[in-house]
Amino acid sequence: MLFFSFFKTLVDHEVTVELKNDIQIKGTLKSVDQYLNIKLDDIQVVEELKYPHLSSVKNVFIRGSVVRYVHLPGGAVDTALLEDATRREAAQQAQKTK
Amino acid sequence: MADVDDGAAAPVSEPLDLVRLCLDEVVFVKLRGDRELKGRLHAYDSHCNLVLGDVEETVYVVEEDEDEDGDETVKTIHKKSEMLFVRGDSVVLISPQGQS
Amino acid sequence: MENGIATQGEGRDPSGFLSEIIGSSVTVKLNSGVVYKGELQSVDGYMNIALEKTEEHVNGVKKRSYGDAFVRGNNVMYISAD
Repeated sequence: MLFFSFFKTLVDHEVTVELKNDIQIKGTLKSVDQYLNIKLDDIQVVEELKYPHLSSVKNVFIRGSVVRYVHLPGGAVDTALLEDATRREAAQQAQKTK
Repeated sequence: MADVDDGAAAPVSEPLDLVRLCLDEVVFVKLRGDRELKGRLHAYDSHCNLVLGDVEETVYVVEEDEDEDGDETVKTIHKKSEMLFVRGDSVVLISPQGQS
Repeated sequence: MENGIATQGEGRDPSGFLSEIIGSSVTVKLNSGVVYKGELQSVDGYMNIALEKTEEHVNGVKKRSYGDAFVRGNNVMYISAD
């Protein structure tokens, strides 16, 4: 749930999703679900010349499992808050496995 | 619900504890597809999904030489990212503070 | 099964074997063929592994060393006690 919540805080921010087949798609994060499937609006393919087949597409739904990275705007991330949330999640996880 | 006999139930720490101790530290991450990352660890979960800050990525690409005598050279590509989410299924190894 | 080799391992299950070799020197081979040699710190149910004083070998050549290393379990082919 940690990263689901994290991505929800980034809705309406501009991100670049890098897929496992090396295609990079820049766009506005519109929504995310528990599988980390991602919806992007106003998309633009990085290196458009190399991947021309998406040039007329305006928005996409990306299956979470094909994502390698999501490049995020550094300013939109409160790192201290994120680390605290991570520690809480880890403690919860430890409680479960006992 | 929680049967409270903590401590004894976990006689040895589990592998992910090593990752927990890396929070807010610089880590080296080896990924599938001949990729490596170095960056500050801000978040992780049990799938090894990660968020890294001030990231340097190295990609190793094997190139066939122009003359077709079968020679191959490995090219390294360096990229930077200020904040990066990494999907856990690509992760192979995580180690504190970069390799030696 | 009272045959001659019954004493070895005493019919433990695989996770019994793993907890038995914690703290000792092990070799971990990944599906990619990369080999890690180090001291086994811990293992969990996914075969996630924590190693200490680890050496990384690719095609039999030592590539790197790590003080501590976490290896994600899905990449593991086997763990063997040296």
